[in-house]
Amino acid sequence: MSFTRRDFLKTSAAGAAALSAPALLAGPARAAREKEMNILCWEGYNSAEVLDPFRSMHDATVKAESLTNDPTMINRLRAGETDVWDLINVNNPWARKVMYPEGLIKPLDRATFEPYFEKMLPGFEPPYKWAMSEDGSELLGIAQRFGPYSFVVNTDKISKATAEDQGWDLWNDPANAGRYGVLESDDWNVFDIFLIAGINPFVEHSDADFEAFDAAAKKVFKGAKLVGDIATMNQALISGEIDFHLTGGTYSASPARYDGFPEIRGITPLTSAIPGKGGVAWIEITSVVNNPQLSPLASQFLEYVQAPEMAHTVAFAEGTFNPVTQMGQKECFDLFTADQLEAIQWDSLEEDMARSAEYDIVPDYDRALDIMTAAKREASGG
Amino acid sequence: MGEAALPRDDSATPPQAAARRRLGLRAGPLYSLPMLTLLAVGFLAPLIAVIGFSFSEPRSFDWLAEPTLENYRTIFDPSNTVYLSFLWSLWFAFLSVLILAVICYPVAYGLAKVFGRWSMVITLLLVFPLFISENVRLYGWVLFFIKAGVLDGTLRALFDAGIGDFLFTPEAIVFGLVYVYVPFMLFPMTLGLSMVPNEVVEAAGDLGASRLQVFREIELPLAIPGIIIGSLLTFVLAVGAIAESKVLGGQSVIVITHDIEIAFTYSQNWPLGAALAVLLMLVIGVLVMTVLRYLDLDRILGRR
Repeated sequence: MSFTRRDFLKTSAAGAAALSAPALLAGPARAAREKEMNILCWEGYNSAEVLDPFRSMHDATVKAESLTNDPTMINRLRAGETDVWDLINVNNPWARKVMYPEGLIKPLDRATFEPYFEKMLPGFEPPYKWAMSEDGSELLGIAQRFGPYSFVVNTDKISKATAEDQGWDLWNDPANAGRYGVLESDDWNVFDIFLIAGINPFVEHSDADFEAFDAAAKKVFKGAKLVGDIATMNQALISGEIDFHLTGGTYSASPARYDGFPEIRGITPLTSAIPGKGGVAWIEITSVVNNPQLSPLASQFLEYVQAPEMAHTVAFAEGTFNPVTQMGQKECFDLFTADQLEAIQWDSLEEDMARSAEYDIVPDYDRALDIMTAAKREASGG
Repeated sequence: MGEAALPRDDSATPPQAAARRRLGLRAGPLYSLPMLTLLAVGFLAPLIAVIGFSFSEPRSFDWLAEPTLENYRTIFDPSNTVYLSFLWSLWFAFLSVLILAVICYPVAYGLAKVFGRWSMVITLLLVFPLFISENVRLYGWVLFFIKAGVLDGTLRALFDAGIGDFLFTPEAIVFGLVYVYVPFMLFPMTLGLSMVPNEVVEAAGDLGASRLQVFREIELPLAIPGIIIGSLLTFVLAVGAIAESKVLGGQSVIVITHDIEIAFTYSQNWPLGAALAVLLMLVIGVLVMTVLRYLDLDRILGRR
């Protein structure tokens, strides 16, 4: 047996055909997008409890990828994945300030979706600022999960009143070194370190501000017992390794609270460098991606999660537990058990939200993040 | 060199052999085509992408739109402390190799020379943890070492004294590295030791060598290829490790791989992350090449 040039060409052609098969398959698959949908989201929307009923209802293939920071998700769209995703679920400022101006998302039909806002908790009435385009003409997404997100304490060690009163100065007290952790959530930690330095994070910063930020970052990481994920923070709070941590709130504390540790509590300080506010809160806005072959299921899914039962499922999907705007409807609210309300700190939710500034984009985030990363590194080894 | 320079007379070769040789020349590249394709797509392409990104504009997503050395300049800027992360990673890897060599040698000796048919069982027991994800095992250790956890709680209950601060320290990171990489040091070492002929050891004994002399002058030199391969493997893996410093170390130390991760995620500075990755590859590459220069791979693989 010998290989001739002809054989070689034949083999190569077969190989090339095999390699291009996915491209050929992609053709019909694209045409049939009414049976498929892809969601880029924070965890929860990717859970089987949320997706499986929708899948069987539409006999559709629904794929969801969960990430735990907004910039990465936005950059996936910027990098050209707008033809992959149908829905994107990120925090409030991105839709109106970044994604819509950059043509990454499409507006929703106001007549269809604004009535849902009318049934939401007070504060989300239409036109809800974060769901609207900057000029107020377009509806860019729908609000569902939200929560105050400043810091978490073990109230057996520091009372709620003390924590609220002392606020961000907890990190300025040298006696507290070694008593706290830092959640690995770098974008939020930038906000918090500005607040510890006594600076409003959401404005342009001067060099002097950055010097203060640098000093605060060094102090915070030098004094941190550990930096880690949510599970590690909760574990460390419960075991007594630490007494408090930033960044945190209902989102991070709720799994521990639901597990029977109500002393782990998200705190919103009474005051901070943000005028009239003590802390920061997030509101997720889920938008329809500007996909050239958008799945018709995308807007159907947004309506699907508005139903009281599904909204409750979203609130208590796997991972973390969060309040949802649909709790404004009695049918939805009644589905929450006393334990669930306790887990999401319903008792103080309204006042905490009122005291929180809404998540916003830090104009000089890159510079702040670089300084913070260097501070973290310099604190290495204790 | 000399061989290649010899004049060749193809006309003297039988036609069949010549055909076979021709076939060999063609079939070789042909048969290696799938592997070459896989390497090109799965290995070379990402590598080129990373190297290309390292010369791209900082914080851009355009691959080599305007080639620049800015990322490397940033890294080598005297005010940049990223060298600390490199040093920590190298130091942790060095310590892990050292500790692993000391811990694994007796076990490897046992597996190669003493345990006999029990070797297989012990090997299986040592391999077994590899079936479980590294992260799960590391979180298991967190529960073991955490305050009021398995160890601390038990000690407190029995002796009224805990373990103090161990978790979330650099020591815990080294512990994690040593724990995770045991098999990667142990098995090459066992292979190395099993290549030491018993007769040579016996002969040395007969000639009056002490146990220490046998160890220093017979076992160690003959087993050194296995030890070096094990050390290289663990070193390279430990330099690239990240989970140990994040989970067990509670990020008490930022290792270089963590810096790379931050660049690719929160900073969204792919070019900087790529430049750091290229430098890490270079550092490891130079170290490995230096060691391999003194190492005869053929001998390790028993071809000689």
